[in-house]
Amino acid sequence: MSIWEKENSIAKRLWETGRPGFPIYDMHGHMGTHNAIYFARSEAPEMVAHMKRIGVERLVFSHHHVIFGGMRNAAAAEICKQFPEILRMYAVVNPHFPDRVKEDLAGFDRWKPYAVGLKTLPDYFQTPITDKSYEYALSFADERGLPILCHTWGGSGCDGAALMLETAQKYPNAKFFIAHSTFGDWDGAERLVKESPGNVWLELTAVPGERGIIERLVAAVGSERILYGTDLPWFDEYQAVGGVVSAKISEDDIRNILYRNADRILGPGW
Amino acid sequence: MTEPVFFDANCRVGDTMNAPCPDVTELLDEMDRYGVAAALVRHGNLDNASPLETNGELARMLMQDRSGRLTGVWCILPEQCGELPPPDEFFASMADNRIGALTLQPFSHRWMPCRLAIGKLMDAAAERRIPILLNAFSGKWSELYAFLEEFPGNICIYVEKCGKWGTDRQIRPLLEHYKNFYFETAGYWVPEGIRDLAEKYGADRILYGSNFPQYNQGSSMLQLKHSGLDAGSVARIAGGNLERLIKGAQLK
Repeated sequence: MSIWEKENSIAKRLWETGRPGFPIYDMHGHMGTHNAIYFARSEAPEMVAHMKRIGVERLVFSHHHVIFGGMRNAAAAEICKQFPEILRMYAVVNPHFPDRVKEDLAGFDRWKPYAVGLKTLPDYFQTPITDKSYEYALSFADERGLPILCHTWGGSGCDGAALMLETAQKYPNAKFFIAHSTFGDWDGAERLVKESPGNVWLELTAVPGERGIIERLVAAVGSERILYGTDLPWFDEYQAVGGVVSAKISEDDIRNILYRNADRILGPGW
Repeated sequence: MTEPVFFDANCRVGDTMNAPCPDVTELLDEMDRYGVAAALVRHGNLDNASPLETNGELARMLMQDRSGRLTGVWCILPEQCGELPPPDEFFASMADNRIGALTLQPFSHRWMPCRLAIGKLMDAAAERRIPILLNAFSGKWSELYAFLEEFPGNICIYVEKCGKWGTDRQIRPLLEHYKNFYFETAGYWVPEGIRDLAEKYGADRILYGSNFPQYNQGSSMLQLKHSGLDAGSVARIAGGNLERLIKGAQLK
């Protein structure tokens, strides 16, 4: 019998109804066009429609045009207001524009409840996360206990596991969401969680579907330390959720990853 | 068995040069776990080993599959060195060894993927409707475009090896221009993208594949199942199209 046929299982419910029977929180999204790819569904209405099919009840995104172009975080907050029941945002921190960072963070409270944390991409900004240009934003998150979704990749000289560990130790009150779980450096991801002061969670974008990796991460750090994400509009929600439920982990683990951990970190109804 | 019937177009078995990899038994276990009925299988060490070795080793591995759920893929070489038998003899040997499709590794095997090197073999394969897997061309767009221009009459299946970023800008011109060109879905994780491609170019042009053992088979099954396509289209992509292509090959 396949996993899709096992009675009363999450996988069977998904296969037959298209929904898991509980909410899904996608902690890593984007929005808008991108230079390197064609997107048919990169604006809020199409993305929300895609999420509603499977039951994603929250998407926390950082807008491509804020990361790669000239759009400001305030514009992303306005987009959230179009779908206040689903959309949440990370305020993008680009270390090359310190004045913008200070100005935006000064107004961070204006964007509540939509803005739940910060987002940065050291590889893309070609600036190591330990560079002093991040200090203002990291201190801001540390003082407030805010999440920071930080792009990471295995072996990166800007956001690899060792640099992320050093940063998590330096800012113990900030909550570090390790985007892509330092992809490929699974041992480093494990050390990062275990040697940090309890303020690190591994985020799964690009991992679901990789054979045996979710199992390895759950065994190494526990499913309580893992968050679900897709890079939407890059990756399909059914593919990514399919990757989680296809992993050889328990249904409790699946629930932790898909929604419970986000609730624990951000509070019920966040 | 899970409905619709899934026939995975993109699986590898056998150790690579640098790592132990799943064998036929592990692949069959994986297929049972996710309800995959059949798989098209190539050797996992195609890049680093000679086809003269891997073709034979794959045939021996397939003999372990008593269920008959696996169909093999053999790798070709240029004709001029005489390393492989003439086409008729080679194709007959494929039939005798449960091999249903061909592949080529020109970049790691150091030859030019053009008519000068494999024209006679490719023409014979086109005449007999034998599918050609283009796994070696994964991400090599200039080479892929040139190859398809050279061999438009062959049934060619683009097989992704590791890319995850949507390839619409590269793939759509090929689906538009080459009626014998097929697209396999491993790593194509574009939201509702399978539906978009099927609606634009026809569900008959898309094949489900997992890229086992790098990826598990389940994640992309759920993606296809809930792609938004009608059940008939999902069934064709899941397995019907590949079954038709494999059965359509006239090896003897």
